[in-house]
Amino acid sequence: MSGIIPILRLGDVLLTTVHVELRDAVAEAFQTDVLSAIERSRAAGLIIDISGLDMVDSYVARILAETGRMARLMGTETVLCGMRPEVSATLVRMGFPMGTVQTALDLDEGLALLKGANGG
Amino acid sequence: MDNRRYMSLLKLDDAELRARMSACELTSEDLERLRRLRPFAEKHTADVVNAFYELLLTHAQMRKFFPDEATIRRVKRTQSEYFLGLFEGRVDLAYVEDRLRVGAMHERIGLSPKWYLAAYRKYLDLLHTLVYAEYPAAEARAFFGSIKKIVFFDMAIAIDTYIAANLETIQRHQVALRELSTPVIRVHDRVLLLPIVGAIDSVRANQIMDTVLMRIVEEKAKCIILDIAGVAVVDTKVADNLVKTTASVRLLGAQTILTGISAQVARTIVQLGVDISTMHTRARLQEGIELALDMVGKTIAPKNGVEVAAP
Repeated sequence: MSGIIPILRLGDVLLTTVHVELRDAVAEAFQTDVLSAIERSRAAGLIIDISGLDMVDSYVARILAETGRMARLMGTETVLCGMRPEVSATLVRMGFPMGTVQTALDLDEGLALLKGANGG
Repeated sequence: MDNRRYMSLLKLDDAELRARMSACELTSEDLERLRRLRPFAEKHTADVVNAFYELLLTHAQMRKFFPDEATIRRVKRTQSEYFLGLFEGRVDLAYVEDRLRVGAMHERIGLSPKWYLAAYRKYLDLLHTLVYAEYPAAEARAFFGSIKKIVFFDMAIAIDTYIAANLETIQRHQVALRELSTPVIRVHDRVLLLPIVGAIDSVRANQIMDTVLMRIVEEKAKCIILDIAGVAVVDTKVADNLVKTTASVRLLGAQTILTGISAQVARTIVQLGVDISTMHTRARLQEGIELALDMVGKTIAPKNGVEVAAP
């Protein structure tokens, strides 16, 4: 399952776009891929673009939030960007506001946010 | 007005037409009889219509629907067409579509069924007198029987259309009201403002959340100011809804600023134990705008560096 969701490296930022449904095995593999990419690259930031997802259930939300927390432990700031309005409304109504993961409107904003965080 | 739409709203198809006709016992014999009355009707159209309006105009409340001579001339012409239509001896979907206009028009001008029915009684009275004057009693009774059937058939359609049109008006108003209740305003590039006025129930809370999220994405907004100065009572539910809206706005990557918090509201929120630590809050809208502009890297500065004293 590994490698379904590509992880790109852009300077000291890792960029990944989730465009397929994160089902069990895919989600696990995604998390593993991201974490090992961080380990290899020592990236300062990680951007997860979910603008392609029109549905995010609590499982996927948990995977995404957990990944963010794990990345933070490894010293990498995570920004979740491009969440659709209906996805956000559903998550909050289900009582799953995604913990403390940082968010941004789109990719540009996400990059700007990371730059700001790194004092650049 | 779109008569076709009313046709489909009332589900008027061939089967419905037959059902309505049989409910009024309107048969082909009746139609034949009405057709035979046509020359008689043509002869008396002007008399009936004139006498009808004379009666209507003596009534103060009905008179206000006919403000001037031009209107009266126009409705008399329409009325004549309507009158002759009764004696076409033809009841089909085209006829029904023509008859629908009565109810739709009455709804538009606010003429309620009580006046329509009262006026129609006078109309029938006039016809009754004329038919019995023209024909021998037995024949007149048969003729008048057929007239009554088609008249009640017409009235049912007119009133059904009136109700359908009325419901539609109400629905239109509700939509307008919903839009008016969440006026998201663009204050500056990437800064939105939603003044909330009045009570917030759960339907409205959901709608506020959906509208806010949608607009944030549309405008690529960095922050939205929710001004609750116009909300009289902030209870646990309202506070909870504001917290939820803030949480979902955050998920999009934007921020919420809550302004217009009066002393009373501040006290309530704290006493209720609602955690609004996730929100930026300011007492006044002005401070909220300043904070919002700060978030997008702008600032309000005095012109030429000279501060004008506040009044």
